[in-house]
Amino acid sequence: MLEVRSITVRFAGLTAVSDLSFDVGEGEILAIMGPNGAGKTSAFNAITGFARPAAGEVLFDGRSITGLKPDAIAALGIRRTFQNNGILREMSVLENVLMGLELSTASSMAGVVFGLPSSVRAEQEAVAAAYAQLASLGVSALAERPAGSLSFGQQRLVEICRALVSGARLIMLDEPAVGLSPMERLQLGEVLRDLAARGIAIVLVEHVQDLVMAVSDRVLVLNYGKKIAEAAPEEVRRNKLVLEAYLGTA
Amino acid sequence: MLAQLAISGIVVGSVYALVALGMTILFRATSIVNFGHGEFFMLGAFAIYVLKQGFGWSYPVAIAIAFGLLFLVGVLVERVLIRPLGSAPFLSFAMMTVAFSFLFKGLTRFFYGRDVSMLPPLLNGEPLDFGSVVLFPQDFLVIAGAGATMTIFFLFFEYTQVGKIVQAASQAPRGAALVGINVPAFHSAMWGVAALTGAVAALLIAPSTLVYPDMGGQMLVHAFAAMTLGGFGSLGGAVLGGLSLGIIENLMGGYVSSSLVEISAYLVIMLVLLVRPQGVFGEWRTSRV
Amino acid sequence: MSKTADSSATGNYRVNHLARGRTLRGLGLATCLALLLGLPLLVNEYQQFVVNTMVIYALIAVGFNVVLGYLGQLAFANAAFFGVGAYATGLTMVHLALPLPLALLAAGAAGTVAGIAVALPALRVQGHYLAIFTLAFGELMRWVYVHADAVTFGPSGFNVPRPAALGLLGSPERGKYYLFLAVAIIAIGATVRLLRSRFGRAFVAVRNNERAAASLGVSVARAKIIAFGWSGFLVGVAGGLYALLNGRVTPDSFGLAQLLLNFAIVMIGGLGSVLGSILGAILLTGAPELLRNFAGIEEIVFSLLLIGVLFFMPKGIGGLIAARIPALREPLHRE
Repeated sequence: MLEVRSITVRFAGLTAVSDLSFDVGEGEILAIMGPNGAGKTSAFNAITGFARPAAGEVLFDGRSITGLKPDAIAALGIRRTFQNNGILREMSVLENVLMGLELSTASSMAGVVFGLPSSVRAEQEAVAAAYAQLASLGVSALAERPAGSLSFGQQRLVEICRALVSGARLIMLDEPAVGLSPMERLQLGEVLRDLAARGIAIVLVEHVQDLVMAVSDRVLVLNYGKKIAEAAPEEVRRNKLVLEAYLGTA
Repeated sequence: MLAQLAISGIVVGSVYALVALGMTILFRATSIVNFGHGEFFMLGAFAIYVLKQGFGWSYPVAIAIAFGLLFLVGVLVERVLIRPLGSAPFLSFAMMTVAFSFLFKGLTRFFYGRDVSMLPPLLNGEPLDFGSVVLFPQDFLVIAGAGATMTIFFLFFEYTQVGKIVQAASQAPRGAALVGINVPAFHSAMWGVAALTGAVAALLIAPSTLVYPDMGGQMLVHAFAAMTLGGFGSLGGAVLGGLSLGIIENLMGGYVSSSLVEISAYLVIMLVLLVRPQGVFGEWRTSRV
Repeated sequence: MSKTADSSATGNYRVNHLARGRTLRGLGLATCLALLLGLPLLVNEYQQFVVNTMVIYALIAVGFNVVLGYLGQLAFANAAFFGVGAYATGLTMVHLALPLPLALLAAGAAGTVAGIAVALPALRVQGHYLAIFTLAFGELMRWVYVHADAVTFGPSGFNVPRPAALGLLGSPERGKYYLFLAVAIIAIGATVRLLRSRFGRAFVAVRNNERAAASLGVSVARAKIIAFGWSGFLVGVAGGLYALLNGRVTPDSFGLAQLLLNFAIVMIGGLGSVLGSILGAILLTGAPELLRNFAGIEEIVFSLLLIGVLFFMPKGIGGLIAARIPALREPLHRE
């Protein structure tokens, strides 16, 4: 589904990612690990249109999406979260989830302004869909709360909800476990496995080892912008290069 | 005619440069864009005017006291109005500077009405004739005064230890606090300095213009135009931008239409931001992704 | 608790809650409308004039709030939109003898064009750049009013023809009142619908976090153009009404003092609150009439009000209402 072909990302004169390639298929969970500054978030940005790769290509369903704008990439069914501020803090949980429906709500500007029935209906259907999605993750009680007042774990769920409601086929999560309690991490892992079982592809950048080991099908390790390992979780744990990168010893 | 227009352009341009530099320093140090900066200029002019004409003091005394007063005004603005906002969003700070600019303008208008007043020139004397260019002694004083003030700033920022720390504090306040800088006091001082540059600019140009409560707004727009032209946030850019703006304005007035002088600054701002928002002399600063 | 039980329980609660809220709100709106329609019977000609001014400022404040409160962009072009609208209505009536409804549409169109023009730099630059651009734009427009005197009649302005239809209800102020009220209700109603739709959500998402908004498929550029265009439209129409209100258009009305008043109204009303904007307009509109006799007092009073709001009531009246009266809480209100 997603094919990354030797992308290189530079910013401010630094090479953040060099010659990175990987694939993700339907229903697969790929975890990207690596020490701080290894280029994980830069790789994310290059795939989702927030940074332009200096070289290489990103394909989605066999079609090049390199250099498209973030909103155009989102329209193709790729949704992402951000490290710590992807939630729209001043909006309610419901409104956050409704933002996931931005592209699929068929109301037109004229329709909204004049209160035309077709647009009114489209807006109402969006609200119903958002409620349904919240309910399916068991968080509909939060609907009216300002998103900024939620716990980190709840914010993650809302972000995932927002991605799901759009019918995303690939969800990219940037450090979803930051600030989560062990219980919340467990719950997040379950949610992710659930999504994968429904055929959604997931890429996550993560430091938290137990989550990565528990949920991912494959683990990709970056160091100084280069891929140093890509294998099943068990194998990566034993990989000599990976141990060196993390422990800093030969 | 070209030479005359260009030189006169540099004379007013050096004042724009000075005001723009004051705003840039404040912006670099505190990351606040001061929409009330024009009123520091206006207050500076009024302070000198009141002390010189109202109290009948001599120029040196009036100037010294006016400079001190303006520094105090800057510090007070920071302490009373800006600091209590804490970590409010950009919009609140901008609104606060808008608010105090109107407050100062209103107070001045309340006491001095809508009259325009005049200041005598600092230097008297016959105009000097250089062939095609005629200059007044006051013009030399403007260029020299603005040039000297700007030189002092550059030397301070580029070559002194304190200046470098000041630059560091603007980029990483927490880091600066760690190495022992009193960041709040530093911010106060920067507001004081910014207000002071306004007073210096006022001293240089007010004798050749007039003194009136609305004079700040015009100067603010000119300073913004200079900063935009030179690249927002660049010290050198502010100076180059100010000088260029002065020349552009004079050439437009001389060759196209005198009514264009008033709007050159607006046109410059709009054109630059539409075509090359990083400024003509500036480099594009990408923010970290 | 199982997931289904959880969702149906809150679902029921929500339905009841909504239905009750809707009836209450419907009753409230009907009462307000009745009061507004009957108001001319209670006031004299001068008071009616002040009320008419309030209606115009309510429209201005709602329009300004779309950009300042919802989209979260600092722009100083509001007085320019206002002026463009006033000139568009006045000049099309004078030069082209357009009938009133078309002249008001011209004001809306001119305001929209000005709004979109101002939004263009907002696509590339943000924050203070936009503020500076809009400041320059506003002053440039004033220069045009003064210098394009062949069309605009220069610094002293011009008289706007008085449409005969406005005198049909006995007094001209009363005729204007019903016209203004109808225009304001339609325009503000449309704005409320717009803000509650995906368009309004996109504005607030852009204000909250442009990057996150883009990752959700929001075209940030389009959201800004729509918000500025709509804001320009509303304020432009308000300008058209203003031309009728005074029967005269002069460049002085659209300068920095006008801008300060607009800022003060929106901030006191509360960023991101339509109801607050309307109340702010009602509170502050009478003031310039009272303060006009003293040089500088207007500036002093409004700037002190602005400072006070920033310090003590950053969410404005809208924030107070949201905290005290949950039924009137507006969606998309600031946290």
